[in-house]
Amino acid sequence: MTTTPKTIPLVDIRGLRKRYGTNEVLKGIDLQIERREVVCIIGKSGSGKSTLLRCINGLEEFQEGALTVHGQPLKIHDPHAMRELRQNVGMIFQSFNLFPHLTVGQNVMLAPMLVKALPKPEARQRAEKLLARVGLAEKFDYRPDQLSGGQQQRVAIARALAMDPEVLLCDEVTSALDPELVGEVLQVVEDLAGQGMTLVLVTHEMNFARKVSDRVVFMHQGKVHEMGPPEALFSRPQTPELQQFLSAL
Amino acid sequence: MVDFSLWDIVRNLLLALRWTVALSLIAFVGGGLVGLALLVARLSKLPGAAPAVALYVQIFQGTPLLMQLFLTYFGLSMLGIDTSALFAASVCLTLYASAYFTEIWRGCVLSIPRGQWEAASSLAMNFREQLRYIILPQATRMAIAPTVGFLIQIIKGTALASVIGFVEITKAGQMIANATYEPFLVYGCVGLMYFALCFPLSVWSRRLERKLNPLR
Repeated sequence: MTTTPKTIPLVDIRGLRKRYGTNEVLKGIDLQIERREVVCIIGKSGSGKSTLLRCINGLEEFQEGALTVHGQPLKIHDPHAMRELRQNVGMIFQSFNLFPHLTVGQNVMLAPMLVKALPKPEARQRAEKLLARVGLAEKFDYRPDQLSGGQQQRVAIARALAMDPEVLLCDEVTSALDPELVGEVLQVVEDLAGQGMTLVLVTHEMNFARKVSDRVVFMHQGKVHEMGPPEALFSRPQTPELQQFLSAL
Repeated sequence: MVDFSLWDIVRNLLLALRWTVALSLIAFVGGGLVGLALLVARLSKLPGAAPAVALYVQIFQGTPLLMQLFLTYFGLSMLGIDTSALFAASVCLTLYASAYFTEIWRGCVLSIPRGQWEAASSLAMNFREQLRYIILPQATRMAIAPTVGFLIQIIKGTALASVIGFVEITKAGQMIANATYEPFLVYGCVGLMYFALCFPLSVWSRRLERKLNPLR
């Protein structure tokens, strides 16, 4: 798209402010996410991490500021613009949100068939390939409630990848899982990162953040409090709030 | 004095039963279509739709069906529309059913977890696609029991159409009871016929629910 030597960020957030009624949860966020970057957002509950993530794909509306994805400004009240944007931005949820009345394969096939008008055989092929990629090829005809939490989350990842997004938003994707199932999901995410996917993760898995991310963002009371490479942030926290947060882990 | 056999009574009641069934079907199908349209209007957040539908529902839920029938019948003739009792009863019962159906189904849709809507939106599906492929299929499973339950209410509600002169099984029962001087026998038969309509429906509803929810 661009031939200039300086690439534009994939996600460009400037001066974002969001209120719920009189309660301001995001107090002016400036953040740029480059292509192929893996950014982990950490912080206490209530710091605004998930809200920020949900603003990026339009699940939450913000009052002030500008948000641009892939060069296009986010226009939440424009259904066509949102449809375009959400094909570029995928999301994985803490509670998986698989469609219970469809099989695993149908879950993955549905959106490409509807939104991208992919013919059924191609959609099926794509679904089979993606399920194999997350290690669940043999579960194609199973129902979501027949799978474990970790398997369901991996299906959710395959479902999001089926839309071929530019960036994947992961909202505490392992927080609802039993500890022994966390590893299989993190492995899939790590593989995605290794394959060059742009990822923005809200997570409490500090070891994972340390290992996989290019940049860690620490949020506190609705603002980006500290930001930097994982080694610097975790070993040499600059602000007392981050020091306190890390010591409580 | 003319002697009436049991078969005379039952035969005439069965002829009138056709009209009970017909009116119930009209109200169910018509009310279902109108109720669905109102539900979609409300869910799609059309400007003014939510308060308008809420008011509509309050009117039909807050007044007796008998009074609604009277108002429809006399109201239509005041507007200059020359109507039969069947037409007036059909219109009234259709609107009455639509008000209850739209609330029942709205409740079923609201009980679908918000995460389903969010997952569908994140996959770039528009409102129509979300409703059609994700929300309504799940809501329908939940809606079967209350919908069939209300169908049974409709069948019993058709009895009130007798007061505007529509000859369904209750009215026929009255006429036959007057002619035969056997009110207990006649109304007993009427009651049994209503039961014969309603009971199989509740059995079928339970079976349908179990078929769509094999795990429960």
